[in-house]
This record gives sequence, structure tokens and C-alpha cells, in this order.
Amino acid sequence: MFKFLLRRFATMVVMALCLTYAVFYFTNLPPNLEKIAKSEAGSRITDAEVDSWLAKNGYASSTPQRYGEWLGVVPGWRNTTPDGKVTGRCIARGTDPAVAPRFCGVAQGNMGFSNVFKQPVSSIIGLRLGLTGWLMLCVVCVMVPVSLLIGILAGMREGNRLDRSLSAVSIATTATPEYVSGVILITLFASSVTGLKWFKGTATSAMDNITFENFTLPVMTISLYAIGYIARMTRASMAEVMTAQYIRTARLKGVRFRDVVLKHALRNALIAPFTVIMLQIPWLLNGVVIVETLFNYKGFGWTLVEAAGNNDVELLLGCSVVAVIVVLVTQLLSDLGYALLNPRIRLA
Amino acid sequence: MDPLSWPEITIAIAGRLVPVWIALVVTFALSMRFKRRLGLYGKLFDSPIGMLGFGIVMFWVFTAIFADQVITFDPLSQVSRMKNALPGMPHPSGEGYYLLGGDNLARDVFSRVVIGARRVLAIAPAATAFAFIMGITLGLPAGYFGGKFDMALSFLANLVLSFPVILLFYLLVTPEIRVTGIPTMMAAVLFLFPVIFLVILWNSRYFINPMQRNIYVGVTLVFGLWAYSGLAFNADPLGVWSMDPNLLNVFVSVVFVNAPTVFRIVRGIVLDIKTRDYVAAAQTRGEGPWYIMLWEVLPNARGPLIVDFCLRIGYTTILLGTLGFFGLGVSPESPNWGSTINDGRKLLSLYPHPALVPAIALMSLVLGLNLLADGLREESMKD
Amino acid sequence: MSLSPNNGTGVHAAIGMYAAECKAGLMSRREFMTRASALGASAAVAYGALGLAAPQAVAAETPVMGGTLRMNMETRPGKDPRTWDWSELANFSRGWLEYMVEYNSDGSLVGRLIESWSLNEAATEITMNVRKGVTWNNGDAFTADDVVHNITRWCDANVEGNSMAARMGGLVDAETKQAKAGAITKIDDHTVKLTLPAPDITIIVGMADYPAAVVHQSYDNGDTALNPIGTGPYLPEVDEVGVKQVLVKNTAHKWWGEGAYLDRIEYIDLGTDPAAVVAAAESDEIDATYRTEGDFVPIFQSIGWASSEAVTSATLAVRFHHAAAPFDNVKVRRAMQMAVDNNVVLELGYGGMGQVAENHHVCPIHPEYAKLPPLVVDPAGAKAAVAEAGHADTEFELISLDDGWQAATCDAVAAQIRDAGINIKRTILPGSTFWNDWLKYPFSATEWNMRPLGVQVLALAYKSGVAWNETAFNNAEFDEKLTAAMAIADADKRRVLMERIEQIMQEEGVLIQPYWRSLFRFTNPKVRGAEMHPTFEHHHYKWWMAA
Repeated sequence: MFKFLLRRFATMVVMALCLTYAVFYFTNLPPNLEKIAKSEAGSRITDAEVDSWLAKNGYASSTPQRYGEWLGVVPGWRNTTPDGKVTGRCIARGTDPAVAPRFCGVAQGNMGFSNVFKQPVSSIIGLRLGLTGWLMLCVVCVMVPVSLLIGILAGMREGNRLDRSLSAVSIATTATPEYVSGVILITLFASSVTGLKWFKGTATSAMDNITFENFTLPVMTISLYAIGYIARMTRASMAEVMTAQYIRTARLKGVRFRDVVLKHALRNALIAPFTVIMLQIPWLLNGVVIVETLFNYKGFGWTLVEAAGNNDVELLLGCSVVAVIVVLVTQLLSDLGYALLNPRIRLA
Repeated sequence: MDPLSWPEITIAIAGRLVPVWIALVVTFALSMRFKRRLGLYGKLFDSPIGMLGFGIVMFWVFTAIFADQVITFDPLSQVSRMKNALPGMPHPSGEGYYLLGGDNLARDVFSRVVIGARRVLAIAPAATAFAFIMGITLGLPAGYFGGKFDMALSFLANLVLSFPVILLFYLLVTPEIRVTGIPTMMAAVLFLFPVIFLVILWNSRYFINPMQRNIYVGVTLVFGLWAYSGLAFNADPLGVWSMDPNLLNVFVSVVFVNAPTVFRIVRGIVLDIKTRDYVAAAQTRGEGPWYIMLWEVLPNARGPLIVDFCLRIGYTTILLGTLGFFGLGVSPESPNWGSTINDGRKLLSLYPHPALVPAIALMSLVLGLNLLADGLREESMKD
Repeated sequence: MSLSPNNGTGVHAAIGMYAAECKAGLMSRREFMTRASALGASAAVAYGALGLAAPQAVAAETPVMGGTLRMNMETRPGKDPRTWDWSELANFSRGWLEYMVEYNSDGSLVGRLIESWSLNEAATEITMNVRKGVTWNNGDAFTADDVVHNITRWCDANVEGNSMAARMGGLVDAETKQAKAGAITKIDDHTVKLTLPAPDITIIVGMADYPAAVVHQSYDNGDTALNPIGTGPYLPEVDEVGVKQVLVKNTAHKWWGEGAYLDRIEYIDLGTDPAAVVAAAESDEIDATYRTEGDFVPIFQSIGWASSEAVTSATLAVRFHHAAAPFDNVKVRRAMQMAVDNNVVLELGYGGMGQVAENHHVCPIHPEYAKLPPLVVDPAGAKAAVAEAGHADTEFELISLDDGWQAATCDAVAAQIRDAGINIKRTILPGSTFWNDWLKYPFSATEWNMRPLGVQVLALAYKSGVAWNETAFNNAEFDEKLTAAMAIADADKRRVLMERIEQIMQEEGVLIQPYWRSLFRFTNPKVRGAEMHPTFEHHHYKWWMAA
């Protein structure tokens, strides 16, 4: 068990390194660096000004070298201006260069500084992840019970009318991407077209105070798409279990149908959906990005889009680290949970 | 001229779609007539769900094919006084109507959706097909041989999959990256796979008959490399094959995102199938590994792969729309459904039709593909 | 007409003449206000010269103290005011950083930290009277030294992206790229004199532009919100880039001016999607929009918000790069112009919310505007001309930003060119990419904001060799005429030259300039005093909320 976890952890580190290097490489392509210079020193500056700005701000060295600086395994850049002032990666504004550390990267616990938001990356990510956490929590609270219920009801008696109609609903929701359903939901429930205005069409105020009014639509939008998918998995798994020998035996023994479903079928039918739900969480990130953009809820997804759109290198690297951790941890949880739920599997 | 009422609009649209109806009726009549001889495709017509899905998908396929006959106006031309026109408004020239209204640039929504079907159905299935060929070409040996090769490829696949899709697109689909030539390099790799795949396919089967093998391989190489030079490098000497750099960028990225999932599916199926008796029998017969993979394992894996192929086309369609939503890789003015929805949604609360029409089109196509996949799955499980 | 120097009243003699013209209907009142106040007349003097009483800022209602106003605005990271490239940057800092002069929506220039100013006859000397009784919020008094300090730092052209240097024109030494020695002199604690090598009427107007925020002498060229020393009535409380910026009333500071009724002003960033703004307005999460464009105007009207419109000379320049093939051929450029009916572009691209323009980037609201014969639209002729130039089969490309109305306008332009039978394709680039090469695209669209004088934009964008010359337009006659026009304080004399300048712009086919935009702001009916400003300026001290 310990060895298994250790191996997983090692994979995670290697993956995070590869991933961040890829992100670093792409964000540091010459045209992207030019973009940074333009957003920092003014969008209408000349090419010569771009070059001098890049050289002054430590962007002139090679990509691997700067990646090393970010990691904290290569000393941070330093630059002496003509009037004798020393600036550098590790020298905070207004501090003495002599006492500044040589290394300042992830290894030293410094995730870097966001060019766009002018704040340390770690504090931005902490705050934004928290906001997304609330959104995800609500989504999971809605999505899991609803989708399991639909799946179980549909899979209980495969092929009957209830199954057909529930399956149709779940297929229809998986066919409706978030950017379509979100738009339709806003028009229906939050605009003057229908005049219903039950909910708010933006979740900006939910960042300070989550209410039923401002959080329902974003949560519904993300959940709808995922519900269909998980419900179909549950239905398939349930339908398979219901045809198993032991269920037939139980039925023949005269156990009530309700008890068969609840006591005998459910646990085995939930193994597959559990792994699906876990694997679905990183996948939800996609929906989160769209919904946070659509509803102006400034969480992790929104930060990712802002960072990517503005080529905010260090923030983007921070986001990718978080993303890779989320993906790999959910994978790990799904494996562990699968083993716990399924007595036939033992981890070496 | 007076604006049309909704029943009149419905009739007029149905009238424009006559070629599509004829094609659908012919397809269904022929398929039903010969369904016992058509294998899995024929069995589809035993399942009402599958038939419904197939019907919807074919409706859009035929709409795309006959788009030039179906449209009422040029999808790009803007007509003064038709800005955000309501459905059924007559054209100022007195000829014809904007059947489903005008969008915010006074273009005909109906014609744009119809031509949009062509764009969507040109990109999504092709991108999915490339992803499948790449996934299969790499997934088969990875599952069959295992070992270091498998480990390395699985690691790469997991790496790509642990990227948030949006981040990947932001990194890959930007105008800057075209300057660096990375999309061309990726295209050079991705577009090589179909050629490799076919060459191995023919070679493994016909190497005992060099004459036949040489013909097949030769034709594949000539034709494949010709198309390859045009698509990947835009260097086709005859100028037949070419791809807009913007489109190439989007296409390559979509293939790149989808291929690892296909790879994982194929690898999983191969791991399962290679323990079967017929594989052992082929090995005992002394067949080469590539022959077993391509001519024994692959045909037996086709069921789940076809099902996933249908689902994945729908997913790719959604993905292309997502790109449009974030304004990535969009070719402006294009009637592509994703970007049309995104343009139209801004004015949704006043003029719902420019966004709702392509939204319904997109939903129905994806729904059709899902139903088709469901039908295929049910029927293939009855084997 | 003779320009007598300021007579005893301190009013420039030309003003009386302008007033006569205005009364006779030869000049609009708006033109008069800009011209008269550029010469140093206060708004009250200017109105007085017209024989009118200056309108009260708030007519009937008495402003109420207190309250919070929430407005959507992109919140951007702060930086050195000189390098500001977005009005939004200024609007947040306006809470505590004030300006020497202020440009009002009626076209007048009003002295703020500079109480008044006057020009000598030749328009080569400007005497500025520093307002008395102004203090910084750290307790220091505001004096002539602060004025000299600020003008000197504006003149530093060595700072990357310092656009103030261009506005200071003759005050900058071309060699050292610093303020010219002796050009800025302190006469006494409350008087500063500027000496110009050549007459330049745009300097004071330039001081009203948004990068001209007046900073304290201790300011270190970093983010302005970090150490907010200023003279204004508010202080930043929250500065979360991309999310929210909040200004609160600085109760510890005694502000010199009148107004500043609100306790709190919140700027909420809703991104670039106008639909999100509509959603926020419908959910009562904002009280006012930063700006509302074209197609969204009817939406806000339909939800019952109050609208305020600013007629401006803001525009979209669909310009050609004269050094890039195929637009190095004037016939091609002229043909493109001929293919496009600006009226239709205005209707389809901007919802008809503006005035049609005439491809020469001088607006009827500019004082020196000269009327030219109407443009000829001739698609067939355009096609023939393009074919004649050897480009019958060339596929042209029109690049634009992915901003809604800009993209729509370019789509409309492209559609017309296509209708004329010329091949054209559209390319839309995201903002971050677009600005990388905005000076180099062969055929693209650039948004230009309002400048009070017609010569200002021409000097900024079309004079050969200037930093923002995106057309690479290089015409000796144009340069010469423009330089001459810049030195003429009298708009009528300037108009004589302008007519020729405008003709050159048209003859050379410099750009397709389809319309002048009207800018709209919508507010919750309770909001008062926050009308749309033609250059997006937020004058916080005028804002208040009705109970």
C-alpha cells in the first residue's frame, strides 16, 4: 500500500514537471514574450522598446534557464541599471539587493508573481480555488444524488417507459453543452424576455455571499451536463447488476422488489458510477471554466482563462500545477475507492 | 409582402429541404430492404432509438451535402434593413423571405445554419477520424507488446489528458503560435499516421504476395504523401490539397486532444482481446504481430470503437463550439454553429432566434449521434 | 481679424469674435466652448460672452450626500500615469489623482488644479495660475513646484510608453528627450510659465487627457494605488485587478472642491462580454454601465434604465498600411473606399448610433471641420479599379479585434467590398494578440478615441514618422499644412487649411472611416450626475444618488 502511494506520488511529481515545462515553453515563445512586454510597458510601444524592456526584466536568457529560475534550482536573474541600481527576480521592490536570496522559486516555496493581477500567485490561487471549491461542492451535492437517482430508477427495469423517458432526458442533457444551456437558462429565468426573474443571471455577488438566487443558475448549468453522463453510467451498471444471478435468486426467494434494489443491487451497482464521478471531477473543470466566464464568478476557471488570455506565465504555471494535482489525486481516489467498494480487488 | 406566419415558415422550410427528404427516404427504404445483408449497420434498423439517431444524423449529413440547393440567400451577404429581422420577414428586394430571421449583421439565419452544417460536418468527423487512426496505430502495439513502449506512450497520453482542455487550447490555438511553426510540425506528425497505418495494414496482410502488396502500398504512398504534402505543409505541387492555417491550427489541436483518449480505449480493449483463444491460435499459426493486431484484434474491437466514434464526433462538435465561445481559432463571419451561438447569445434577451437556431441544430446533431451510438451499442451487444 | 492680447479683463480678444459667430449661427455652441476655453476663458466667461448664463451643473435637484454607486468597468493593474493606455486606469485613480484642467462633455475646458491660464498673442507663451488652497492628502500644500515637477516628468520621452511626451510637443528637447531647459519656469509659488519654440494650441488640451494625472513629488513611478498620495476626495480601498476596485470618501482629507457626494464608488469588472453587463444590470448588481454599445442600447432601454448619450469624435479607423502591398497602390485604396457605403456600415455595424463620417478623420464637432462634397459610392467602379490595378483575383484580408462592435463593423465593411465583387476575407484576433502588431497590419481597424481638436488626431496618427502612425502615411504637403494649422489659434483660418488637409486624406485614400460613434451610458434611474463623457472620463465629484 505504502509502495503504491509512493509510486503514485513520484508519477505525480514527474508529470507536474513535464506539464509545467510544456506550459513554460509555450508561454515563453518569442511572440508571447512580446505580448508581456506590451501589456506591461504599454500596448503601443515600438519593437526596440520591447527588446529593451525584455532585457531589463530578465526575459533575455534561455527558456530552460528561466524555467530553472522558476523552479528555484538556478539562481534568479540580476540586472544592474546604468545608474547602479540592482534589480532582479529575487529582489523585492524597495529591499536591499545585498540581503536578497539567490534562489527564489517553487523549491523555496515561492510560486512567483502574477503579471496581470500584481499579486503573489499562491495567494491568488488560494483565494480563487476556495471560490471554485464552493461552486464544485454545490455542483456535487446536486449532481451526485440526482444522477444516481435517475440512473437507478432507469436501470431498475430496463426498457420500460420510465427507463425510456429518463434515458431520453439524460441523453438530451449530455447533448447540450454548457455554453448553450447556460444561455438558455439565463434567458428563461433571469431576463426580461420571460419576465420570470426567479434567479440572477450573474454570480458576481456570490463571491461575497452565496444565496439561492445568485448560485442556482451556475450550479444548474454545470450539473445538467454532467448529470446525464453519470446517470447513463449508473443506468448501465444498474441494468447489468439487475440481470445478475444473485438478484434473480433474491427475487425468486420472494424478497420485495424495493428491498432487492436497496439491499442487494445498489452497492454493486454504485462501484462503476463512483469511479466515473471521481474521474468526472477534473473533467468538470471544463464546465467550470465556461460557467465562471459566463456568470462572471471569479474562481479558478476564470483565473485560468485570464492567465492564459493575458499570457501571465507564472500564474498559468501555478494553475497547471493545481490542475495536474487535481487530476492525479482524483485518479488516485477513484482507484482507492474502487478497491474499497469492490472486495475482489486488493492493492498490492 | 407581408411577413410569414409560423405555419407558413414551417411549410417553406420543409419545402426548401425537399432534396434532403428525398435522400432520407431513399436511404431508409434501401437500408430497410437490404438490412439483413448489411451487418451491424443493418441491425441498426431493428432498434427504434438507433433509427431515430441515424435519421437525425443523416438529416444533417444530407443538409450539408445539398446545402447549396437548400439555402435561400448567400450566408455572408448583409442586407440593409434586415438587421435582427424576425423570422418570416420578406427580403427588401421582394424576392424570398428570411425564413428564420436575420442576425445582428442582417444575414439570413436559415442559410447560415444550413451552410454551418457543412462546416461542422467537415471538421468534426475528419478530426475524430484522424484522432482514431492515431489512437489505433499507437494503442494497438502499446496494448499488444506492453513493456517500455507501452509505459512511455501511456505516460504521454496521461500527460496530455491531465492538461485542462481549455488551457491546452489557449496554448495551442493562438495566432502567435502559427508564427513559430509549431502547428505545422504537429500536423507533420499527425497527418503521417494515416499513411503509416495503411502501409502497415497492407504490408502485414499481403507481404506473402509482393506484387499485390507493392500495388497497394504504392498507391497508398503516392496518394497519401501527395495529400500529406498539401495538408501539412501547404506544399502540394498540384494545389489540390490545402488547408487554411487557422483551420489547420484548430484541427491539429482537436486531434491532439482526442487521440490520447482513443489510445487508452484501444489499449484497454487490446489488453482484453489478446488473451482470447483466436489470438493464441494465430500466434501458434506463426502470424506476425502486426497481422494479428490489425487483422485479428482490430476487427473484433470494432463494436466499442464505432460507438465511441459516434459519441466522439458529438463531443468534438461541442469542443469546436467551446473554442468559438472563447474566441479561439474562430474564422470570423464563418457560419460555424459554435461561433454563431456565441455571437447570437449576446443579444439573446431581445432577439433569441440568431442564437437559438444554431443551438438547436447543434443539440439535435449531438443528440442524434448519441442516440445512434446507443442504438449501435445495444445492437452490437446482441452479437 | 486681429488678435489683441488679453485686455484688462483677462479674456482673450478672439473670444468676443467667436461669440459673435456663434450667435450668428456660424459656429455651434459646442465648438465655441472648446475654442474659447482653449484660449483660457472659464466656462462662465465663455457662456457670458455668448450672452447666456452658465448652466447649473445640477439644475433642479439638490444633491444628496452619501450612498454607494456600483459601475461595471474593466479593472486593470495600476502603473505610471504617463504610460496609461486605457481610460479605465485613469478612472480608478481619478478618485485621488486630479488633473490640471478638465474637459467637459459640453466641449469646454475647465481649470482644476490650474485655476486659469492665458496665452500671449503669438500663442507661444502660456501663463498658468495654480489654484490656491489645494492640499495633498498627506498634508503638503499644492504649489507651482508640483506643477513644474509634473510637466517635467511628462516631457521625459525616455520612459517606454510615455505618451504625454508627444502631447507636450515643443516642450520636449528632441536631443535629450527631456524637458527643454528654460521651457518650464516657476514665476512665483502660484504661477508657472511655459515657453514654446513654436505656437501650439494643443498643449493645454493635452493636459486634460487621461494620462495627465497629477502626482506627488514622492511618487515612485509604480502602481498608483499602492501609496495613494493625491489631491482628490477619495481613496482606494479595494484594488483587485480583474475583479473589483473600490473608492471610499477620504474623510481625513479636506478637499478643495465642491461635491464628492458619494461615500463609496465600486467598480466591478464583468469582463469584456456586454451580455454579462446586461445580466448584472437585470440582477441589480450594478447601478451604471461604463459604456454601452450599438446593439445593446435597445436592451437597456427595454429594462427602463436612464440613458445618457455623448456625441463624440470617437471612431473606428479601417485603415490601410500604405507601405504594404497591395495597399501601396492608391488606386486600390480608393477603390476600397468607393465600394463601401458608410451609411450601411453605420446601420449594420453600430446599430445606427452615430454620425456618418467621410474618410478623413475630422469630425463635424471639431471646431476646424470643413465640409467637403459627399462621398461617392460606386461598387462597379471599385471592382473595375481593383481589376485595373491588377488585383482582380487577389484575396484581401481585413483584420480586427474580437470586440463586438469593431468586429461587426469590419464584417459590414468586408461584406460590402465582397458585394462589389472583390475577394476579401476577415480575420479576428483577440485583444492580446491584436495590439502586438497593430501598426503593421496591411488592412485592419483601430479604435480612436475623441480628441477635442481635429488637428490633434491628425498629428498623432497621420503625420509622417510619428509613433502611432499606423497607416505609414507619408505626404509632404499634408505634413506641411498640418504643422501650419497647428500654429493657428483661430479656427476659421485653420479651417481654410483643413479643407485642403481633408481633401488630401480623401485623395490619398488613407482610410475607410465609416462613422463617428455616439457613446452611451445607462444608469439606474436613481443615479445623478454620472452622464457619459465623450472621452470616458469619470468626474466622481459630480456623482450622487437620489434617495
